[in-house]
Amino acid sequence: MHAETLTRNEAIPLDVPALAMRGIGKRFPGVVALDGVDLTLMPGKVHALMGENGAGKSTLIKILAGVYGKDSGTIAIGGVETELKTPRDALKKGIKVVFQEIALISEFTVAENIFLEEYPRRADGSIAWKTIRAEAKALFDRIGFAVDPAARTGDLPVSQQQMVEIARALAHEAKIVVMDEPTSSLTPKEVELLFVVIRRLTALGIAVVYVSHKLDEVFEISDTVTVLRDGRHISTKPIGEHTHDSLIHDMIGRRIENLFPRSRTGSAGKVALSVEGLSTDTKLKDVSFEARAGEVLGFFGLMGAGRTELAKAIVGYDPIRTGRITIDGTALKPHDTRTAVSLGIGLLTEDRKLEGLMLELPVQQNMSLAALSSFAKAGFVDEGSERSAVQSFVDRFRVKTPSLFQPIKNLSGGNQQKVLLARWLMRGLKVIVVDEPTRGIDVGAKSEIFALIDRLAGEGLAVIMMTSEMPELLGLSDRIAVMAEGRLTATFSREEATQERILNAAIA
Amino acid sequence: MTTDTLPARKRGVSLSALTDNSQIVLIGLLAVLCIGISLAAPQFYSPDNAIAILRQCALVLIVAVGMTMLLVAGEVDLSVGASLAFTGCVAMDVTNRTHSVVLGALAALAFSGAVGLFNGLVVTRLKINSLIATIATMMILQGGVYLYTREAVQNHHLLDAFTAIGAGYVGPVPIPVIIAAVIFAVGYVTLRFTLFGRYLYAVGANLRAARLSGLRAERLKLLAFVITGLLVGVAGLILASLMNAGQPTAGRGFELTVIAAVILGGTSLAGGRGTLFGTLLGVLVLKIVDNGIIILRWNQDLQMVVPGLVIILATWLDIVRRRNDAR
Repeated sequence: MHAETLTRNEAIPLDVPALAMRGIGKRFPGVVALDGVDLTLMPGKVHALMGENGAGKSTLIKILAGVYGKDSGTIAIGGVETELKTPRDALKKGIKVVFQEIALISEFTVAENIFLEEYPRRADGSIAWKTIRAEAKALFDRIGFAVDPAARTGDLPVSQQQMVEIARALAHEAKIVVMDEPTSSLTPKEVELLFVVIRRLTALGIAVVYVSHKLDEVFEISDTVTVLRDGRHISTKPIGEHTHDSLIHDMIGRRIENLFPRSRTGSAGKVALSVEGLSTDTKLKDVSFEARAGEVLGFFGLMGAGRTELAKAIVGYDPIRTGRITIDGTALKPHDTRTAVSLGIGLLTEDRKLEGLMLELPVQQNMSLAALSSFAKAGFVDEGSERSAVQSFVDRFRVKTPSLFQPIKNLSGGNQQKVLLARWLMRGLKVIVVDEPTRGIDVGAKSEIFALIDRLAGEGLAVIMMTSEMPELLGLSDRIAVMAEGRLTATFSREEATQERILNAAIA
Repeated sequence: MTTDTLPARKRGVSLSALTDNSQIVLIGLLAVLCIGISLAAPQFYSPDNAIAILRQCALVLIVAVGMTMLLVAGEVDLSVGASLAFTGCVAMDVTNRTHSVVLGALAALAFSGAVGLFNGLVVTRLKINSLIATIATMMILQGGVYLYTREAVQNHHLLDAFTAIGAGYVGPVPIPVIIAAVIFAVGYVTLRFTLFGRYLYAVGANLRAARLSGLRAERLKLLAFVITGLLVGVAGLILASLMNAGQPTAGRGFELTVIAAVILGGTSLAGGRGTLFGTLLGVLVLKIVDNGIIILRWNQDLQMVVPGLVIILATWLDIVRRRNDAR
């Protein structure tokens, strides 16, 4: 923890793996997240971990961070087998994970954050503030990071907060530093700086795990690449043995999936939604597209591409800076969900718990929310007709629930999602925006949701589907739009679309 | 969870809609209290005492109806006690000046309704947390009432109708009890059967989901604040009549009694959950505890201590019951 002990990290033996994970398995209810995955990290090397969303990267990192326990397999640190029971335990054993969401206390100073777990003390037990600041300064110097240790953490840009997290790793004498999508919110210049810091870490003998979607970065910074797919270990190779194409091939692989029943036969109808030159203060830059009645328009993009932001802007939930949104020829008043809903556009949100479900309330109340006013006469809700409408959707969508009075929190994710879809269909929409419609849903229910989406388009709705899942994108969409960094970078017809083309447009 | 289609219209649902399982604990508690107190002091069961308890309940229940709506919508109003005292002074003063009970009552409602509107605007427009906003309003009103009157506003008009509001009877039933019963009934129907009531639950249960579904969340909350304000006006009028004066110091701690009763009744501070029937039970429990302490000639200071313990006990029992339900 003190400056002189830091130098000891340089004496790490370079031939013993800093970490060896063997045959790691992890299952969640209904899903095998990891199946016999190996990962070996050498001191002083950068090891990239790649794979599509849902490949198992996050689960593996969380096991490494002590957030999840593994179901099977072994973990050895510096050649000694061990268990990582809690995040604190992992940290003590020299593993520091820098997650995408920065875990610093923004009201504290930078120096305080660095020594948060254990403040240096004076002999009388009081906190040695001067030492804290001096040691923080010394740490920053080691990684070549110029920031005032007395600065309030929340005042720093994200890139510098990330550096503070990395400095924290040094304070804990970490031997392994894991970075989860570290560049997702950095400018190119900040990325350069990050790479300088990563090289300093490796010079200290620290093993770095670099999790990223971005191929160029991986080629630039990493020594070795491990690819995961569907929870399995696919390949581990020195970066020199890979090309762009071979890496993408490893990530995608070949899939045989017939999850996507396609009942639609008719072609798309007239334009239901038109978006012109849409920009927001937060993310979107000059997005324009049209969606037609009876088609599924899929939007693909990597983490942070702006899909969710687009979804929230076009349904009037988030404010916009410029642009024009038209539903069936009528212009939408921005940032006003009430008129948006009455014009016939609704959003099935990405985060069911946070933005969709009323967890404690029954199935009936959850389903009828958007359509409730249509059951009201003179301000009184006609619960009889409400209940029969809800019941008919429960039957049609095969929602499995003991009764309509069951609190929705007791339903499975798939059934919750069906209720939320029904919330909109009961209202009667022209355009439905679905954001990651199968997140957290097991495979069986997924295919039911797919069938419902297909049917909705068949019934003449324009469906806009935001997804980061390649198979569902290709399986369901009539057209595919690809986003990167807030912009629309490409649009493909169903025939033109290939995984390689889409991924290339998303990485651009 | 086992069959695909299930009968939705189970009988017995009407009972559960009325009581919501959580209230079984309270009904039990109420029974234990009544039996315990009447064993120790038989006069507890006299008609006179029953009427006295109901009269005690009336003031709290009237305001608790509005407070339940606010809590269901995910907001709270801590200024009701201070507003109650101020409103009483306004009611008495205006009646003194105009010799009209109607104008006095209207003035009281206008004043307290304006306080509710103010609270609602501060919360929904300025986006200030309602806990903080209404503590601030409480302070403003507690100070403001002394700018309005240095001492109690005495009854100079001597109108019988004014006295009757708080002290009168219809048959054996005190008028405040009748007023409270009517307000409770209207409130119950509103919260349970109207679009407005259903929307309040939605806004409190998940504000974002409600907004995404096209609900005007801010307006709904504002309305709940105004309703609470108006109900404080009714209560303030009754209080001034009962005390035969407008007391600037009245109503201290009243807001806590009201909120305690509502929460005891199973309404969640987090919003989206609660019933007026539960609130009624909460008010009854608190007031019967009060009454029992007096009848049993216990130390009066226990009137604060015991309800505090009762709230912890009842809330804990509710948590235990829900934990068991979840299995």
